[in-house]
Amino acid sequence: MTKKNLALNLLAAASAACFAASALAQHKPEDLVKHRQAAMSLMGWYFGPIGAMVNNKMPFDAKLAARNAGYLVTLSRMPLEGFDPSTSGAKNTKAKDKIYLEMDKFKRHMEKMQTEVDKLDKAAQTGNEADIKVAFGNAAKSCKSCHDDFRAK
Amino acid sequence: MHGQRDAMQGGAAHDERPVRVWDVPVRLFHWALAGFFAFQFWSGETGGNAMQWHLYAGYGVLSLVLFRILWGFFGSTYARFASFARGPAACLRYARQLFSRRPVPSLGHNPLGGWMVLAMLGALALQTVTGLFANDQIATQGPLADLVSDAWSDRLSSVHAWNFYVLLGLVSLHIVAVLYYRLVKGQNLIGPMFSGVKRVPAKLAESAAPRPGGAWRALIVFAAALLAVYLVVQRPF
Repeated sequence: MTKKNLALNLLAAASAACFAASALAQHKPEDLVKHRQAAMSLMGWYFGPIGAMVNNKMPFDAKLAARNAGYLVTLSRMPLEGFDPSTSGAKNTKAKDKIYLEMDKFKRHMEKMQTEVDKLDKAAQTGNEADIKVAFGNAAKSCKSCHDDFRAK
Repeated sequence: MHGQRDAMQGGAAHDERPVRVWDVPVRLFHWALAGFFAFQFWSGETGGNAMQWHLYAGYGVLSLVLFRILWGFFGSTYARFASFARGPAACLRYARQLFSRRPVPSLGHNPLGGWMVLAMLGALALQTVTGLFANDQIATQGPLADLVSDAWSDRLSSVHAWNFYVLLGLVSLHIVAVLYYRLVKGQNLIGPMFSGVKRVPAKLAESAAPRPGGAWRALIVFAAALLAVYLVVQRPF
């Protein structure tokens, strides 16, 4: 790569980052709420059947568990960016405004959830039902601990 | 302290007689419920894989509550609602001496205790029924949640969450009250919930008419409660 090319690439990357950041900042609060709720709805959609399997409410299907867990890995990275301080006081949300006062703690909850989802994915790819059950329980707990702190009852 | 209490009772304490006020079903119900309550507190707070057990235990609580409501109509003398749901006048009269050290014995529940029982049963009924329709926003939902809209399931979940604090308050008050009776008023209400037998002044004992509900009737009533819960939860039809 020539020096000129490198400089051009850097410029392009920098302007893309600026554009992305400013685009994000321009989202209406209601759209941000919709975004994160959509992300979490999908997480529930793909998480639910794994729970149903490990609790014997539907037959164990290793393939489905592996597919869903794979989706969850990506989905788990999505909700955080919908939690923007501009959504403080937004309607139709149960997210507590104290999220934006305790953003570090909130992020730690999100990262913990991502870690547990990654473990769930690992277990799901091996297809071992007992391991999936343990990982499912821990992932569900990571959801709960954040809900307990930051979701209105 | 004891001398003072004896003096106030005028030696009546020596003229006490045992009366069997709580039959076996009432006692089993009480201690099973206490165990389930502790378990539900733990499992609900823990979440994760404990949630499935939270549901199973919830069916147990619902069965117990249903049994106790039925036992309040068909059970032993002092288990019946008619025997302890007293009017406001009786409650007020009883309440006026509550903070004196002088014990005022009752055969079954005292007028205030009776309402406490009804309040706890009511709150437990609300808790179990809302639980049937609730969801935890993660991966667990009550067995009837799919019968109502998500909005209603969410609303009932909120009631389930907040009513737990009501229950916790009532249970705490219940425990504080029996300790208060034991330590301040010198009345042991805890022992009889194990033995079934309460020692009361002879005069009060004479008016007692304890009639047990009977083991068979208790079993039939409990089976009916279990069956009702099974039908609601499993919806086999």
